[in-house]
Amino acid sequence: MNENYPIIEFLGIRFNVTNCLSGLLAAILVFILVFILSRKVEMRPGKAQNFLEWIIDFTNGIVKSAMPGDEGRPFYLYAFVVFLFIFMSNQIGLLLQVTIGGHPIIKSPTASPIVTMAMALMTILLSHYYGVKKMGIGGYLKDYIRPVGFLLPINLIEEFTNFLTLSLRLYGNIFAGEVLLVLLGKLAASMGLITYVGVLPIVMIWQGFSVFIGSIQAYVFTTLSMVYISRKMEEE
Amino acid sequence: MAKYLVLGEQASALGDFLFFLIAFIILTLLVKRFAWGPVMKMMDARSAKITGDLDYANDERQRAEKLASEKEDALKNSRAEALQIVATAKENGENQKKALLDEAHANAEAVRQKAKEDAKKAKEDAMNEVRGDVTDLSVSIASKLIQKELSASDQESLVDSYIKELSTDETK
Repeated sequence: MNENYPIIEFLGIRFNVTNCLSGLLAAILVFILVFILSRKVEMRPGKAQNFLEWIIDFTNGIVKSAMPGDEGRPFYLYAFVVFLFIFMSNQIGLLLQVTIGGHPIIKSPTASPIVTMAMALMTILLSHYYGVKKMGIGGYLKDYIRPVGFLLPINLIEEFTNFLTLSLRLYGNIFAGEVLLVLLGKLAASMGLITYVGVLPIVMIWQGFSVFIGSIQAYVFTTLSMVYISRKMEEE
Repeated sequence: MAKYLVLGEQASALGDFLFFLIAFIILTLLVKRFAWGPVMKMMDARSAKITGDLDYANDERQRAEKLASEKEDALKNSRAEALQIVATAKENGENQKKALLDEAHANAEAVRQKAKEDAKKAKEDAMNEVRGDVTDLSVSIASKLIQKELSASDQESLVDSYIKELSTDETK
């Protein structure tokens, strides 16, 4: 994996150009997708609207499985966007690995732990925010000494492990996929035409599998986000 | 690569963090504005319409069922009514017939009674007349025969005794 990321500094904050460009690309692709699919919104849905509604129903189903009642309503949109954004981010790196002058420009943004942590942090912050909003500050704090007081340290650690597992699971899966893809690419280029033809089917198989992994990881991330949020909002 | 995995080593952590946060929020807002909002509205409208249609169909069916049962009841009632009308008419006819017959019977009886009475009275009248005639006749005969004047009252009692004898003979 090429680690020679281009870095620019703006207002004293340093940005990783690769991550930012890839994330921007993923966001733009997601927006274009839903924009095209939602052009003709009618009572009797056409093909595009049907497809969009199918995705919406799918992500709504994820939320409903964690929060069956009306309390899940504010998270429908969040789950929808998170799912599509992570899905798109996972798939970008499989199709597009742009490197300019030794610097990678476009890759899967989710192959960077910072990006996945940003997403996970959003979820964790949302869960704490809605936990306080729903239970009040007292009920929220009481949640840390459940079921018994001496579990307080474990409950505190759990908050961090939740955050870390949520982000690093996604990062690990996508990063590993990209590493293997790059290695296979290097292998293909190592001995000319013979390896090129020989490695091609392996690359195709691995890409197909990565598409599958990317979809599964997007689903897992969304599901776990909703589970963490619902656990904070649960009344015991 | 090991260096890359140590998070603090990556100098661009904060920048990427902020970038993704902002990008995600903008993306969410755009998606909500252009796709999520209209589609969700339409989905809600559709589910409301389906619910409304189902309710409407249910109401209509109940109304139709009610109407059908009402019609059936009306039919049943009209049949019973017709039967009752026929029965009443029959009864009325029967009653009228009976009344007519009774009246006729009564009339006939009255006529018969009157005739009987008339006959009896005529007989009695005739008997009385005969009685008077006989008395006078016998008195005149007796006075002619024996030339002896009998008192009318004696004569009358004599004739009465004869007549009584006569009528007892007659009844025997």
